[in-house]
Amino acid sequence: MSKPVDIVTSAEGEVFDIELEVNILKENQRLAHENKQRLQASRIQAIDVMGSVGSGKTSLIKSMISRLKHKSRIAVIEGDVTTTIDADLIASEGVPSIQVNTGKECHLDANLIRKALDRIPLSKLDLIFIENVGNLICPAEFPLGSDKRLVVISVTEGPYMVLKHPMMFMGADVVAINKTDLAQAMGVEPRKLSSDVAKINPKAVTISTSCKSGSGIEEVIRALGLDGA
Amino acid sequence: MHEFTIASLLVDSLLDLAKKQGSNRVLDVHLRIGKLRALSAEQVKFSYGILIRGTILEGSRLIIEEAMANVHCSKCGYDSKLEADENSPYHFALPSLVCPRCGENLSIIGGDECTISKVKMALPVKQRTKSA
Repeated sequence: MSKPVDIVTSAEGEVFDIELEVNILKENQRLAHENKQRLQASRIQAIDVMGSVGSGKTSLIKSMISRLKHKSRIAVIEGDVTTTIDADLIASEGVPSIQVNTGKECHLDANLIRKALDRIPLSKLDLIFIENVGNLICPAEFPLGSDKRLVVISVTEGPYMVLKHPMMFMGADVVAINKTDLAQAMGVEPRKLSSDVAKINPKAVTISTSCKSGSGIEEVIRALGLDGA
Repeated sequence: MHEFTIASLLVDSLLDLAKKQGSNRVLDVHLRIGKLRALSAEQVKFSYGILIRGTILEGSRLIIEEAMANVHCSKCGYDSKLEADENSPYHFALPSLVCPRCGENLSIIGGDECTISKVKMALPVKQRTKSA
């Protein structure tokens, strides 16, 4: 809590204006920083995976795990409003997964990740995927302490997903345009989505993917810097 | 609806502040929200109105101001307010992080804050303090 810098008496004599600078998001930022330090101390790479409901976040994580699990020790933190469906899907890959049910919240926050990290044997891991709640708005507001942010959108969400949610893409390191095997049927041009991302955030690496055919998965792994893991 | 989370954090901070100051009545609260925060002022106010019921904040006014974001180009030194794409057919301002002068990636300065900047509250006479 910041100290008040000045107190001025008002006309009423007993009412005061207190000028201050209290950042109400500071607590989440502090916890995110702590998570990051903790992960770095254990030499773990952490990837925050964000995207709409049904964009293919879980499928993409599964596809990456099946290519990486022989050389890296992986765990997944699954954020959902309720159910363990995604955590069960990940468990089928044979890697540990922890379910974080947010109940009513539409996003994960740094405190929930801190609690999840308490339940994972950090010394036995190289890589953690954090699958955020399916939502393209709220998770952008709550950093978790990950190294990289991967945003997954799919052609089935239509041609305007990037333009409608610029904030989410401004903070992305890698953007996967998923389900490209359906692009023609949907009449959506992945290259257009990709150029929309480049306009908002030229630093982000955009890759077209299909979890069904496997195309683009290796490129996402490289773009996230996980190939040397 | 992360506005409810933000409003809860705001109410917690204010109750904490009022307690420290020995105040039992808060009148006005000024909250500065950066242009780049995906926060609806309307929804923050709505949530605030619900959360303050039965607390010493009840009846207080929440005044929300928008804080601008600036951009800087580390390559050519371009400095400006963060501009929205004028050709965008959407009513929402579409920010662009490409330097209009040299095409480099711009870095954003500010615009991401969510800060209580001023609080008007009643204080018991004895507790009046002034610090630099």
